[in-house]
Amino acid sequence: MAHQQHMKSDISYREVNEDVVRTMTKSGVGYYIALFLSIAGVVFLWWLPWAYQIYTGQGVTGLQTPVFWGIYLTNFIFWIGISHSGTLLSAILFITQTPWRRSIYRSAEAMTFFSVLTAAVFVFVHMGRPWNFYWTMPYPNQRQIWLNFQSPLMFDVFAISTYMTASMIFLYFGSIPDLAAVRDRVTGWRKELYGALSLGWRGTDAEWHWLNKAYTFFAVLIIPLAVSVHSIVSWDFALSKVPGLNKTIFAPYFVVGAIYSGSAGIVTLMVILRKTLRIEKYITTNHFDKLGMLLLVMSLLWSYINVLEVFTGWYADTSFENEALKYRMFTPPYSYMFWLMIFTNTLMPLLLIFRKLRASILISLIVSLGINVGMWIERYLIITTSLPRKFLPYMWHDYSPSLTEISMTIGSFSFFVMLFLLFIKLWPSVSIYEVKEDIGIPMKKEGH
Amino acid sequence: MGKAVLGLFTYVDDMLAAADKLKKSGFSDVTIFSPIPLGHEIEHVLGERKNYVKYFTFLGGFTGFFVGTLLALGTAALYVLPRGGRAIFAVTPTVIISYETTILFGVFFTLMGFVLFAKLPSYKKKIYDPEVSIDSFGLLVDVSEADINDVTKTLKESGANEVKTVEEK
Repeated sequence: MAHQQHMKSDISYREVNEDVVRTMTKSGVGYYIALFLSIAGVVFLWWLPWAYQIYTGQGVTGLQTPVFWGIYLTNFIFWIGISHSGTLLSAILFITQTPWRRSIYRSAEAMTFFSVLTAAVFVFVHMGRPWNFYWTMPYPNQRQIWLNFQSPLMFDVFAISTYMTASMIFLYFGSIPDLAAVRDRVTGWRKELYGALSLGWRGTDAEWHWLNKAYTFFAVLIIPLAVSVHSIVSWDFALSKVPGLNKTIFAPYFVVGAIYSGSAGIVTLMVILRKTLRIEKYITTNHFDKLGMLLLVMSLLWSYINVLEVFTGWYADTSFENEALKYRMFTPPYSYMFWLMIFTNTLMPLLLIFRKLRASILISLIVSLGINVGMWIERYLIITTSLPRKFLPYMWHDYSPSLTEISMTIGSFSFFVMLFLLFIKLWPSVSIYEVKEDIGIPMKKEGH
Repeated sequence: MGKAVLGLFTYVDDMLAAADKLKKSGFSDVTIFSPIPLGHEIEHVLGERKNYVKYFTFLGGFTGFFVGTLLALGTAALYVLPRGGRAIFAVTPTVIISYETTILFGVFFTLMGFVLFAKLPSYKKKIYDPEVSIDSFGLLVDVSEADINDVTKTLKESGANEVKTVEEK
């Protein structure tokens, strides 16, 4: 084993390769049970109810006049929100050269891709007739009708598909050197697979140079893309004239909320990953401390926008604004949800002010889970407290999700877990080469 | 088929010193293998590399902007949809669509630039030692038959753990 002098860490380069490959090749019974349960969850809680919905029609949902956007769209926004973790942690922290990014960014990028994928499937679920999806493709259909690009829903198609493509490329190309490192240590079908995936990478100075340049541009391009994605998602609502939705603050509100829930998602994931993959030496309490600070800042920003939303509505004192606010804040069952959301997303994160609590894994887990429960509620409330109270009272009608919709919502979590379980076995979930960079370059003479 | 000598080093400074020495002795075809990006450290010895990828990114962004604009305005012209006096060719949606396509094409062109310059994918058998994806730093020097001994000696003197003569296909 190479003796490395003048390094920042006790971990050797070889150990990093061994540890990461171990996470991919050694699986306990627990892993297979979790994988089996998640696949069962996808099949029985998502695909089967979906097949039932396609066969029977959208009548199996709780959607009816005037609420045609329900829990499916809530899930769509929620998963798109989660996807912002990868962008923030990977691209922004890469540009700003933040060292603590290195051991967690790969999982964050994967989380981005998988959550955009989950969100995209919800669009198909929501459509009712998913086979007509090609109507959103930019070519004239049977009746020679082109797309109407002036609809925010078309903005969405472009934004989401661009985001999914870019995040996939970002994840894959940043992983090539690690896929090559895995290729060199495995045998059998794995050798074939990683040989193909690593594209013949050898780690030459030229390859590193071009990868670094391209990766920097991917990072630069993906940041404004992520901001635009959630702004555009917010415009699906804000560009309508429905009270409670037609708000100028919606785009920044959604972007802040997305980064907030995405960062909380990554904290939850890191707690689980470090324990189950036994990679505590790579994901340390220092990471939770830094992520905790990030969560605290995002929590304050998010709370500020929430207060602002209530305050401007209150100040305007128009009947429809008052009705929308009253309905959300003081009418059960929405009021219970609203105040629970304020507890989990505004009050609970205040614990993170204290350094000791930030570094506590248990507190990080509880707070991050709480935040995402709150963020899901936020999206649910946006839809279910505005559309049922649209314009004149004669058309008011409350919405409650059906069992099919609830089942598919739970199933989507199974889908995400399943993708992630497959990811940690098929992909190096901790970046080998960046962790090595963090360890330091082996030099014989100090101050070289 | 040419001959080459590959030296494996534990320390980057040893390897760079050897590369520098060989460069100065007239061996211009030197390749460095490493498990991590070395960037600036290498530039001192091998010289600065130009960044051509940025032109690809720019060209991609530019193309994407025009594609997006053409899509949004062109489709509005192909299927005119009058809506109560609103603009047929509206600025805001055009800006949004072209913003997205600018980024999409920017990413694709950057990818093309990378693939082109890094010469990947390449599945041909090339000179490689799996140790360089772990903790060794490799120095590959293209040599003529007559120089093999001299280069081997220089690499060993500079601190290489292992030196081998390899054949380039």
